[in-house]
Amino acid sequence: MKQFIAFTKKEFHESAATFRLYILLAIFLLFGIMGPLMALLTPTILESLAGGDSGIVITMPDPTATDAWAQFFSGVVEMGMPILAIIFCGIMSNEFSRGTLVNLLTKGLKRHTIILSKFISAGILWAVSFLLAVGICYVYTAFYWDTEPMNYVLLTFGAPWLFGLFMISLLMFGGTLFGNFYGSLFTCLGAVLALMLVNVIPNVARYNPTSLTGTLSLINGTGDPSDFIRPLIICGVAIVALIVGSIAVFNRKTV
Amino acid sequence: MNTLEIRNLSKRFGLHKVIDNISFSVPENCVFGFIGANGAGKTTTMKMILGLLRADGGEIIVCGERVRFGATKTNRLIGYLPDVPEFYNYMRPKEYLRLCGEIVGLRDKTIKARSSELLALVGLSDVNKKIGGFSRGMKQRLGMAQALLGEPKLLICDEPTSALDPLGRKEVLNILQQIKGKTTVIFSTHILSDVERICDRVAVLHKGSIVLESAMGDLKFQHKTKAMTIEFGHEVDSDEVMNVLRENHFAPTSYETPAASIEDMFLEVAK
Repeated sequence: MKQFIAFTKKEFHESAATFRLYILLAIFLLFGIMGPLMALLTPTILESLAGGDSGIVITMPDPTATDAWAQFFSGVVEMGMPILAIIFCGIMSNEFSRGTLVNLLTKGLKRHTIILSKFISAGILWAVSFLLAVGICYVYTAFYWDTEPMNYVLLTFGAPWLFGLFMISLLMFGGTLFGNFYGSLFTCLGAVLALMLVNVIPNVARYNPTSLTGTLSLINGTGDPSDFIRPLIICGVAIVALIVGSIAVFNRKTV
Repeated sequence: MNTLEIRNLSKRFGLHKVIDNISFSVPENCVFGFIGANGAGKTTTMKMILGLLRADGGEIIVCGERVRFGATKTNRLIGYLPDVPEFYNYMRPKEYLRLCGEIVGLRDKTIKARSSELLALVGLSDVNKKIGGFSRGMKQRLGMAQALLGEPKLLICDEPTSALDPLGRKEVLNILQQIKGKTTVIFSTHILSDVERICDRVAVLHKGSIVLESAMGDLKFQHKTKAMTIEFGHEVDSDEVMNVLRENHFAPTSYETPAASIEDMFLEVAK
């Protein structure tokens, strides 16, 4: 436990010293602001494009809180998650390529402690950034619109967070297996891309962890919370398997 | 008692046999010189002692405990200085030693005391910049400090002087000189003058086999020499010296004026 705390402190120190922490917070702060802002501005932008002499008249319904959340989710999922992957792609491989673990391993630091500490600290960073984005979006949305209390808050935001955690565990597994950041990034993006592709097979989407990013349906009322149970379980099992796999690979790895 | 015992150790990379059935032991508090050309298998042997590399055969025993690949139990007895020690560039020396101390499981007070003690020993007491801005020699010295932090029974130094300028080399050798007698040291190198200066025992590794193992004192007397360096207290004419040798039926095949004088000069002006 002492080793775990020491190494985790080092991870947070590293995140701050290499600006990873600040970049992540700044980007997700921006996503939080962008959701409601885009929802408010979209009708204005479209009208100004259509206006003038073009003769096209676009009538847009007034934006709603649901539009703000739709913008928020599309930003976080389509841009935020790839950025998350790029920020964390060096999480294992930097240590391997620079040889910085040699001193610590020869001091008796256990290999599984390294994997668990890195995974948990990355998970916390991701949670804090994601919560910041959600919080900002929530405050703005409540300010501009009369919002009703949300149902299934934990599921709505916990599910996409878990998918981000799944991406982090993919990055760690790829980084441990290949020892460089290309391996890390390609493992993660390859796996996510493959999961998106298999969605074309009927009924697979019901089990696919990628559906965890679609919890907007819980906000606009088109989805059923029970739809997310299967992907949640599969995603959780996959994360555990990837972390156990990373430890197994690392234990056999020559440093 | 032997701090380290190696019995019938072998390692191959693919078809290439890097270590071929070597055995040797290192007695307690001895400074053991592990000599060999580049690629002789020195680093491979050291990494196997540390459990960082899997041995194909044989066994390694540190202070009576068997070393296992991937496990780090015996590493609590060992301090390791890699040939090019790597640190987290954003840390300062004290922060790095704190991290190491916490991993070893030292108490807060002990970490503070040991850190200042060791930083004084390696001459980094007044340095508080980030490690990213360190010279190679400074990194080597900080590497020495981190290796000694856990008061190891066995200190393994992989070519600690090879990459350094004469000044840095002298500093590292001085540090080793100071800890001599308190800790068992294995010290790999291909710089033979360094071995002569500080080692008690030597083993020569050549193409994966130990071709010579001996106490330093025995080595000096056992073997007749083909070459020697003679120093005079005053200036001499080299031709005159050669004449004396020839008259006494010694026929040198070559001679040179000592290259060490350049080293001395460097040390003098770089002070």
